[in-house]
Amino acid sequence: MDDFLSRALDLAAVKGASYCDVRLVETNQERFVVRTGVVDTLSNDESLGVGVRVLVNGSWGFASTNIVTAAEVDRVTDLAVEIAKASAQASSGPISLGAAVKSQGVYTTPVQVNPFTVSSEEKLGLLLVADERMGSVKGISARTGNLIFSSERKTFANSEGAHVEQTIYETGGGIMATARGSGEVQRRSYPQSMRQQGCAGWEFVENMDLAGNAERTATEAVALLSADQCPSGTTTLIVGASQLGLQIHESCGHAIELDRVLGSEAAYAGTSFLTTEKLHNFQYGSEHVNITADSIRLPGLGSYGWDDEGIPAQSTPVVERGRFVGYLMSRETASGLDLPSNGSMRAASWNRIPLIRMNNVSLEPGNWTLNDLIADTDDGILMEMNRSWSIDDRRFNFQFGTETGYEIKKGKVGNLLKNCTYTGITPEFWNSCDAVCNEEHWTMWGIPNCGKGQPGQLGHTGHGSAPARFRNVQVGVMT
Amino acid sequence: MMGHEAVLALLEKALSYSKAQETDIYLNAQDLGLSRFAGSAIHQNVAHSNIVLNIRSVTGKRLGRATTNDLSDSGIRKAIEAAHQNALLMPEDPAFEGLPKPDGAARVYSFDEATAQCNPEVRASIVRGVCLQGKEHDLNVSGACRTGVQETAVVSSHGVRAYHAGTFAGLIINTMSASSAGWAKGGSWRLSDIDTEALGREAVSKAVDGQEPVAIEPGRYPVVLDTYAVDDILEALSLYGMGAQAVQEGRSWMNDLIGQPAMSPSITVWDDGSDSHGWPVPFDAEGIPRRRVDIITQGVVNTPVHNSYTAGKEGTVSTGHQSYFTGGPIASNLFMQEGVSSLQDLISSTERGVYITRFFYTRLAHSKGCVMTGMTRDGTFMIENGQITHPVKDLRFTQSYVEAMADVEHVGSESKLVLNEVGFATRVPALKLSSFNFTGVTV
Repeated sequence: MDDFLSRALDLAAVKGASYCDVRLVETNQERFVVRTGVVDTLSNDESLGVGVRVLVNGSWGFASTNIVTAAEVDRVTDLAVEIAKASAQASSGPISLGAAVKSQGVYTTPVQVNPFTVSSEEKLGLLLVADERMGSVKGISARTGNLIFSSERKTFANSEGAHVEQTIYETGGGIMATARGSGEVQRRSYPQSMRQQGCAGWEFVENMDLAGNAERTATEAVALLSADQCPSGTTTLIVGASQLGLQIHESCGHAIELDRVLGSEAAYAGTSFLTTEKLHNFQYGSEHVNITADSIRLPGLGSYGWDDEGIPAQSTPVVERGRFVGYLMSRETASGLDLPSNGSMRAASWNRIPLIRMNNVSLEPGNWTLNDLIADTDDGILMEMNRSWSIDDRRFNFQFGTETGYEIKKGKVGNLLKNCTYTGITPEFWNSCDAVCNEEHWTMWGIPNCGKGQPGQLGHTGHGSAPARFRNVQVGVMT
Repeated sequence: MMGHEAVLALLEKALSYSKAQETDIYLNAQDLGLSRFAGSAIHQNVAHSNIVLNIRSVTGKRLGRATTNDLSDSGIRKAIEAAHQNALLMPEDPAFEGLPKPDGAARVYSFDEATAQCNPEVRASIVRGVCLQGKEHDLNVSGACRTGVQETAVVSSHGVRAYHAGTFAGLIINTMSASSAGWAKGGSWRLSDIDTEALGREAVSKAVDGQEPVAIEPGRYPVVLDTYAVDDILEALSLYGMGAQAVQEGRSWMNDLIGQPAMSPSITVWDDGSDSHGWPVPFDAEGIPRRRVDIITQGVVNTPVHNSYTAGKEGTVSTGHQSYFTGGPIASNLFMQEGVSSLQDLISSTERGVYITRFFYTRLAHSKGCVMTGMTRDGTFMIENGQITHPVKDLRFTQSYVEAMADVEHVGSESKLVLNEVGFATRVPALKLSSFNFTGVTV
């Protein structure tokens, strides 16, 4: 296969490309879905292809194919050059990529048990037991469970001399119970909405204990039917770890993508309020807020050896004691700020160009235990597990809904609440954070469905978080 | 592009490798060219070709699946065998009645040679044109222009033989000044149907008129929704409830409303994959013709759409709405009946309200009533005494889309085809609603 990569690099140079990179990617995936006692999906999915990206006369071109032959590699390399030349009709000037990238090496996600060595019978059996246990709870109208396992073998080479090979393993799973009655519909999920996913092996599923949590999950869904409605007003909010993972994703992770800041995503995903003059000059959050972007902290879904420009995995401070100090960057965007890339470019597949994507964007743990934090809260609400999410195109105004809420009165957990929502403005919200729980409560959550780009790409991101407390938050926003 | 004969030859060969009781294979092939621009320059310019075989293998009441894009003999055999082995692992599903039988030919013509042959130079020329329109007003212009060919085919051991090749074209334009933004979007199966200059004018005018917006208090306001916002409502109502699987699982907004006049009598919605005024796809991923389904008639909620599995559970027939290889049935070729009012009539009829170009990042907040939250974007204006008076800062809403459709007072007389990226299309008019619930405002 290396011959194909060399062939594309050589041909691109002959055709006039000043830079070229090639990715050969083979993906294998197993999917299992059980819906209310029936196996809905048991599928093996394979995808193989090659993508060629070139820079010609200061403009980009990219072409790809699923037919990996010498003739097809030649065709798509030619096409990429042709596309780049067309791009020059509407060009903004020369592109700088900074220092040459010459990475070499091999990386494989460390796993205890290769998930593809575990039988399909065992995987399916696990889901069916969890489904049966959810079904044993009276009042459940629908239940789902899913497992997913993937391996991605990727070889990257560029015209500057880089050549790296990676095998990324991912494992994920989750269950959800839906209860319906008394004119109400409620749901509970475990370990988080849709599923929890990480760069890990079969051990990741075993540690979830889906079957052991199935009956509790279903019981909580039924209990929500008769729970009190979330009150409307302004209060102290403790955001649970799972929900806070998505809060970080939406209000920080996307906001620090430098391509958004520079306008590349304006017509689709939007821009960002964290414009370049704010770097090192903006109080994003309170002194308790420390956020890091890294591609090395397993089992985060944003863990890899090199990004899709051949930049090694690394860790970048994003927010230090509340101050905004770092972006997620590509070679091109970093060069515009006279900075080196921090290796944030990833493509969802062989037929997509790399974009700046979140890796593992995490809130660093604080010092509190959750019990102490609740005991220290006179009046408020604890919300957990995402149900809905929305944020504006500059990542200012957000609104989240959660599956559950609990009253907190005089330092104690009170009644269960349903239909919980909270809303705010990003910097106001993070500046109202006055406590973050400690490492014991900190979990790396995986989000496998982050949409960005045209044609669309689903990115896989990690977010470490522990429960945290926010003051004066507007809650209970419904019709 | 493979072409009719090559596709069916490939699928016949693949089918011959199967030793299962029943097998069907859904081929999905796409040749895409897409030029993305920002800062008035093309910054991403791509082409891709992919051909995917989606295989279902049945043994008794067990169904296994596999997909591959490795079209070598060994690759296809491996996928066929994987699907078969997966079927053998499945527990029996008593409700599964087998793969569907042939159900008549379905043909729609939606192939345009010029669109299929469109090259990067043509797309770049379009991009340059709209960027120049923005430059005249000192606007930053971004967006995407795409063209391509989509081939779909289904063969089965029951004798299903279906093939369709269609072209697609789309242009999205976003214009921005320091304090405003505008938007326009056009799509069709024929590139020549898209008036790129008119779309450019539309996007430019919103950004020019939207400068220096003022914040208004959240609350309930009458609204005039442009077609892009109406597309969002119809798409959400489809995704969160117009499919029979959601109804059968009790998580659809349709539950408890079927047969009820839940919406305004002026609202009529249907799905029709054979109407060339939409983005036609004549059959679904099971090879079943996409039948017209009258989903809402004069405000009365009628029926969801079905695939063969959900239909079998209810003793009815599939309506041909298995849009993708997995997942439940989806209404993805939607139409809303036009009314008699011009857009200007809708605005003139509003004493005090808000004109909305489009919604952004809308998500389901509660399934009952299809309560959605999201933001306005790219052109939000105040209407006072029947006239647009000034731009307003973008607003967050939290609103039941079912109740919104109950509050429709007037329906626009002109509809627009809104073609989304994954083959989901609506043809919708503008609407005037008596009330819409805004729950926040952005900075």
